[in-house]
Amino acid sequence: MGSVLLSSDWLIRPRPERRFVLKFSVASASAKPNKSRSLVDVLGLNLPSGNMDDPAKFLLRRLVRRIPAQMLKATLEKWGRLNAEQRESLNFSQSKWALTQELEALCEESRLTVKHIAELEMIYITENPNQMMWHAFQLLDPEDGALAVELMQFKELFKCHLRELVRNVSVKIKKHTDEAVWIRMSWGEGFSRLSHLNATYVVHYLQTPYVFVSGLSPKNKPLLLQVLTLSTKHERIKDANLSGRKLTAIRDLLLRQYEHVFPTKYPSPLTERNQSVSNLHTEKEQAEASAKRHQMAGQAFGNGVLPALQSAVYKLETKFKDPTNQTMTEQDEPFRCVVKFSSTNLLESLRHCASSGIASTPVAPLLSSIPLKGRNYFVITDKSPSANS
Amino acid sequence: MSLLAPFNKLPTLNTASILLVESEEQFQQSLAVALVEEMTVTVNVRLARSLPLPLENDESRPRIDLVVFIINLTSDLSFRSAKASLKYLDPGYFLGKVCFMATNARHASVHTGLLDAVRQLAVSLHCPLLFAEDQTPEDVKSSARRLLTILKVASGLVPNTSALFLSNLTRCTMPLDIDQPSFD
Repeated sequence: MGSVLLSSDWLIRPRPERRFVLKFSVASASAKPNKSRSLVDVLGLNLPSGNMDDPAKFLLRRLVRRIPAQMLKATLEKWGRLNAEQRESLNFSQSKWALTQELEALCEESRLTVKHIAELEMIYITENPNQMMWHAFQLLDPEDGALAVELMQFKELFKCHLRELVRNVSVKIKKHTDEAVWIRMSWGEGFSRLSHLNATYVVHYLQTPYVFVSGLSPKNKPLLLQVLTLSTKHERIKDANLSGRKLTAIRDLLLRQYEHVFPTKYPSPLTERNQSVSNLHTEKEQAEASAKRHQMAGQAFGNGVLPALQSAVYKLETKFKDPTNQTMTEQDEPFRCVVKFSSTNLLESLRHCASSGIASTPVAPLLSSIPLKGRNYFVITDKSPSANS
Repeated sequence: MSLLAPFNKLPTLNTASILLVESEEQFQQSLAVALVEEMTVTVNVRLARSLPLPLENDESRPRIDLVVFIINLTSDLSFRSAKASLKYLDPGYFLGKVCFMATNARHASVHTGLLDAVRQLAVSLHCPLLFAEDQTPEDVKSSARRLLTILKVASGLVPNTSALFLSNLTRCTMPLDIDQPSFD
C-alpha cells in the first residue's frame, strides 16, 4: 500500500471500520430497488425499469439550464449517448423547459442513468472551464518516478489510492485534447447516496507539479490532496494561493506560458525611430522618463499578452502605523484588513498603471510578485517585510 | 524651481509652438498629430505629463506660445496633476497664453464636484476653458481646430489682435448658479 511506504504524519490511513460501514450501506441500498440505479449499473444488470431516478433528473435539468441554447446541440452530439434519430427528434428552438421534458423522455427511453448525465456535465465543463472557481495546488518533493508517470499509471494509482480511503465516491477520468487529465468526482456523505449535483473537478497536466481543483468541500480536501500526492508520486502538496475563474489564465501563469522580460541593467537595443513629418514637429519633453517607466513595467509584467487573471487579494495583518493617530498606533493587536484588486485582466491593468505613471515605478514588490510567484493571495504580516503566508 | 517663461526666447518666423500637458498621455498624442497637419503655419508641439519640464531640453525647446492643460474629468488625478503643474509657469503666461481643455465631460462617471473645481480654477486664473471629446477622429480634429485658433493669436500671427485681448473675450466666467443657492 502506498500509504504504508510513505509514513508521513499527515497521511490519512484507511480505516477498516469505515469500509465495513460502507459495505453495509451498499447492502441496504440493494434491498430497495428504486434507490439502486448506480448499483444496478455496476453489476451490469438490466432491470426492466424505465424511470430515471430523481438525482438524474435534477442533474439533467440543471445542466440544460446551464448550457447556453446555441451550444446545446453540439454538446449533445459530443456526448453520444443519444443516437442520431433521437437527437434529430429534439426541437432546439423551443423553450428550455419543454426541451428538458423531451430530453428526460429520451434519456428514459435509452435507460440512461445519473452516471451518463454526469458524463454530459463533464463534457460541458471541459469545454467551458471558465464557469467555476479554480484553486491551484502545488506538488512538492517529487520521487524518482514522478516524471515518468503517464496517463494509464496515473489513472490506476488514483483510483487505487482513492478506494483505500473512501468507498462512496464515483470517479471519471478523461484526457482532454490539450494534454490535461480531467477528473470528475462525486462524493457520498456517509450512508447517503452519491451527490452528483456538487461534483469536484480536478485538472492535472501530467509531469507538471500543479493541480487545479474546483468545487472541493473542506471535508473532502485532505482525502483528495493525499490521493493526488500519492498518484503523481510526490511527497507533499501545498496550496499555491492562486485562484480564479479562468482556468487557462491560472495555468498559463503557473506554467509560465506567457512572454517574459528578464531584468537587465543595460538599456534596450536602439530601435529605429520613425521620423515621419508629423513627429518632426512633435517632441515629448519627458520621453526619457516615460521610456524608463515602460521598461520597468515590462520588467515586472512582461511585454506580451498576459494571462487574464481577475483578482488579487492582500490580507494585511500588520500593526497600524500613523503618527497622527495615537490611539490606533498604540494598540498591540494587528490591524486586520483585506485589500482586493479586481479587473477583467488584472495584470494588464497593473502594467498599464505602472507604464502610465499612475503607480510608482519600480513596481512595488507586492504587485510584481503576482506574476513572479504565480499567486494571487497574499498574507502580509509584520515580521517579514516581504509577502509570505 | 525653473519657471517656464513666455518671452525669454525669440520667436521664429511663421511658427507657433504649443505645449500640451496631460498626466495620462492619451489624448495629447492624437491631438498633436491633428495639430501639426496645419498648413498655413508651422506648428511645433511639445508633449509633457506635468511641469516642470526637464532642464536638459531647455536649449532645443522653442518659445512656447500656448500652454494647454488637458484634464480628464473622470480622473481626479489628472486635475490634481494639472493644478500642481500650474505653479511652474511664469505669471506672464496667464495673460492669455494658458488654456484648459476638459475631456470626457459627457461620460457617465463624471464627478460633478470636479467639473465645478475645474471651472473655478479656470475662472480664478482668467483662462479659457474648452470642452473636448477624444473618442472619434472628428472629435480630435475639431478640438485641434479650436486650439489652433487660440494658438495663432497667442503666437502673434493674427494681425490687430493679441493674446491678452483675446483672453478677455474667451476667458471662463463663473456661471451664476455655482455659488448661489437657487431660490426654489
